[in-house]
Amino acid sequence: MSRKRKKRSGKQEEVTLNLAAMLDMAFQLLAFFILTFKPAPVEGQINLNLPPPRAVLDPNQQQKPEDENEEPGGPAPAHTLTITINSAGNGQVSSIQVGLAKLFDGPLDGNRLRMLDRRLKDVFAIEGKPYDQVLLKVGKSLGYGELMKIIDVCTKQKMADGTPVNKISFVEQAEK
Amino acid sequence: MSASLHSSENAEPNLTPMLDMVFQLVTFFMLVINFQAASLDMSLKLPVIGSARPADKGAEELLVLNVNKNGKVMMYGNEQDPAAFVKNEGKEARFKLELSGKKVKKGEELPTLVVVRADLGTPFELLNKVLTECQNEGFRKFALRAMSKAEGS
Repeated sequence: MSRKRKKRSGKQEEVTLNLAAMLDMAFQLLAFFILTFKPAPVEGQINLNLPPPRAVLDPNQQQKPEDENEEPGGPAPAHTLTITINSAGNGQVSSIQVGLAKLFDGPLDGNRLRMLDRRLKDVFAIEGKPYDQVLLKVGKSLGYGELMKIIDVCTKQKMADGTPVNKISFVEQAEK
Repeated sequence: MSASLHSSENAEPNLTPMLDMVFQLVTFFMLVINFQAASLDMSLKLPVIGSARPADKGAEELLVLNVNKNGKVMMYGNEQDPAAFVKNEGKEARFKLELSGKKVKKGEELPTLVVVRADLGTPFELLNKVLTECQNEGFRKFALRAMSKAEGS
């Protein structure tokens, strides 16, 4: 309506918006976002299913895996592979034992991790011993960083049916 | 000459392209802002594990525990006692489930995924206390966080 009037009158009034105020506000928002911007760190995770604490048979007394006669709620059956990780006082590994056999003495390095990996592969490949979970007996002072290296090796393993090992439980081990 | 001088008095810069650009930048920063990162304590040094899988970004309920070298839970820069903190979180998780019509007793399995971000120097003794507290409350699903690659590489 008003346009028609303008056209009729022949006068074109220019309406100019004052953008300066809007620009100020936009700059303030921009400054806020730039100052609070923190790129998220590249983090990964290892998913675990941690069953509730439960008594486990001593490896010396472990029964055959096919024995299904254990009492409900009693000690875990023999399909639990026990890895004992002794720690030195400085948070490093001092020795590792897989089952009953000692694997090595000394701190973890690339070679020893590969050794552990090979050993676990061999253990999980044994037919008639369908291990389905790993119990880590960990020294009190072992650092989280060292523990994660060992958990990483364990979660890479596959069980007899081909599913990855993700049932890992922890038990605290007294320092020697 | 006088006419050109007169017109320069009214000269105004065209702010529209600048405003467009600024709004584009604001939109970009609004889209990339990550409020979840606020719950992560960046003072912790996480171990570097090459094979760690990228974190799931599902709608799953998460409980992030930043555990420092002293075994305390760090929440927005404050140290908190892990036992009390986990107990409260367990209570809250059960209350939420109750609101949605599912009653869960203490110690029964909770669907929440506990994300553990512990410092690489945290002794197992202290970490195990936190994990045991979580298990006693009914948390079963855990995700142990690590850096996929070393910082600066």
